[in-house]
Amino acid sequence: MFLQQLVNGLTIGGIYALIAVGYTMVYGVIQLINFAHGEIYMLGAFFAVTFILGMGMPFYLAFLLAMACGAICGMLLDVIAYRPLRQSPRLACLITAIGMSIFLQNLAMLIWGSRPRPFPSDTLPAWFDKTWHFSQFSLTGFHLFIFAATIIMMLGLNLTIKKTRFGKAMRAVAQNKTMAALAGINVNKVITLTFAVAGSMGAAAGLMVGAFYNSLYPTMGYLAGVKAFAAAVLGGIGSVPGAMLGGIVLGVAEAMGAGYLSSLYRDGISYGVMIIVIVFIPAGFFGVVIKETKKSI
Amino acid sequence: MKALGKGLVLGLALVFCLGTAAMAADTIRIGVASPFTGDLAAYGDNIKAGVNLKLKEINGAGGVNGKKIELVWGDDLCQPKEAGTVASKFANDKSIVAVIGHLCSSATLAGMPIYVRAKMPVISPTSTNPTIGDVGKGWFFRNCYTDAFQGKYLASHVVKELLGLKKVAIFYENNDYAIGLKDSFIGGAEASGLQVTGAEAYVAKTTDFTPQLTKLLKDKPETIFLCGYHPEGALIAGQARKLGFNGPLFGADGLDNIDYIKIGGEAANNTFMTVPFLAAAAGPDAQKFAEAFKAETGREVDWMSANAYDCLAIVAEVIAKVGEDRQKIRDGLAAYNSADNGFEGVTGLTYFNEKGDCSKPAFVKKVEGGEFVPAE
Repeated sequence: MFLQQLVNGLTIGGIYALIAVGYTMVYGVIQLINFAHGEIYMLGAFFAVTFILGMGMPFYLAFLLAMACGAICGMLLDVIAYRPLRQSPRLACLITAIGMSIFLQNLAMLIWGSRPRPFPSDTLPAWFDKTWHFSQFSLTGFHLFIFAATIIMMLGLNLTIKKTRFGKAMRAVAQNKTMAALAGINVNKVITLTFAVAGSMGAAAGLMVGAFYNSLYPTMGYLAGVKAFAAAVLGGIGSVPGAMLGGIVLGVAEAMGAGYLSSLYRDGISYGVMIIVIVFIPAGFFGVVIKETKKSI
Repeated sequence: MKALGKGLVLGLALVFCLGTAAMAADTIRIGVASPFTGDLAAYGDNIKAGVNLKLKEINGAGGVNGKKIELVWGDDLCQPKEAGTVASKFANDKSIVAVIGHLCSSATLAGMPIYVRAKMPVISPTSTNPTIGDVGKGWFFRNCYTDAFQGKYLASHVVKELLGLKKVAIFYENNDYAIGLKDSFIGGAEASGLQVTGAEAYVAKTTDFTPQLTKLLKDKPETIFLCGYHPEGALIAGQARKLGFNGPLFGADGLDNIDYIKIGGEAANNTFMTVPFLAAAAGPDAQKFAEAFKAETGREVDWMSANAYDCLAIVAEVIAKVGEDRQKIRDGLAAYNSADNGFEGVTGLTYFNEKGDCSKPAFVKKVEGGEFVPAE
């Protein structure tokens, strides 16, 4: 059972990690907790279903297009809701984020209805259904797809941040916006692109959850968002590797908690792990302790 | 400040106007409480379809005592917190003389104390938790069976006789309905010599059930009891199949919704469930009702719609006898107290004991080839 629970935990943990990365990147560049991120995750799932059912697209194309739509949603979110508030107090941005979250949830209910709907599972590639039974656990093609997609996206993101000009600019903006602007970096553009990357990964996560667990509904982003936010905090908010590790740890803790302790307190166990880590390592796994300083902006 | 004051006065005036307008209207107002939005909106649709069909019949025939009936909708989202709000709204509206609802047992349990204080008669078409009668203190009635009966019937009849199996795993939702049902099932299982291999819980709105299922499947059960509502039940069915479980599944009335098949797909096949009403197994009145229902809504009748239809019929009959008074309506409902003076509706004979419970038979249906069919 242990190995099977590990597989269960890694699957959901990988998804949490993908969402958590979105929280942590946005927090890194503008110190905003983007509460509307969970909604982009939800929209990703609904976009994919619309592409598959409405336009008859194959799964892989719908997957990529849903990611692109997630990126566009992320950018729109920034340009419409957050950019006008760039110079305002951080609290204003935070409240706007909550407002956008409620708005997007209700918009989705208006467009797609509030009932949970299934993912058209017969349109998934056939090898997703293939099951391998080992003595201790079983694994499906879909599990492998989720693992592979998560790992590829994580590696790609790491390379982007470390090796490309955009990644460099992003790290510069995260360190000091004023200095970055003085060095000739278009700060607003970098921030908007950060939202795009975060949005595309969130959308991919939503679509994989929708397809794997076979259910999508307009409020699905809320719980996933809260869990992923917890994962980001666990890893040290602002740190990308931290968010990845935080997601995995949270997912595995949840599965093991439900499997070996009480299943009723499954969510409680995962939050309990978070609280314990925060109490003993306040900055999370990879977070940097920043002394509170008065900022000019 | 001035503007605020003005707004307040205007607002109060508006509320007052609306209030008097409602009072003056020459209708009999009855509250209907159900989840009309949210995850269980599909159930609310059933209730709406059932009462609306009866409403059309009653008002089409001239109403009750020369007055038309007007339904007031209350959306409780199947959540105790929202149910309290809806109950307070209904209880404080003096023009509302009776309430049909709530749908979920948790919601009814939360609303009942408020209704009792306001002396409001309540009849639920669907709440099956056995303890509601105690909280209802004489103001609660239902025309469905209770889980004290349903749980035992599932154990002794469905699992033991129909499926002929012994080892059962229970997967229940953490709410009043499912816990009551689970407890009564375990009692019945002991009496029938079944072996409960494990019981795990989940919280509503969860989508990942694999950790609990992995734990349950370790003990090699022959069948799994999906003790909860259809949105989660359908997902559990799918994930159990993915984890390699191919045996039959079973559940109670909470699973009975076409969405169970829509969401569950292939995995939903080979699921058995108990329901209080099955058109195919009922009498000629019920057949006629089933046809009328299909003509009106374009879908097959389900037990919730049928029970809701009967609820409004009972309340209307009582009001025709005793008039529009909450106390008198309660007494009128309580007067249906034995098989000899029960109410004969499409769901069979309904009469209440002192707790407002009624005894009705259960029917079993199953999912086969993507459709609900009678199981016996």
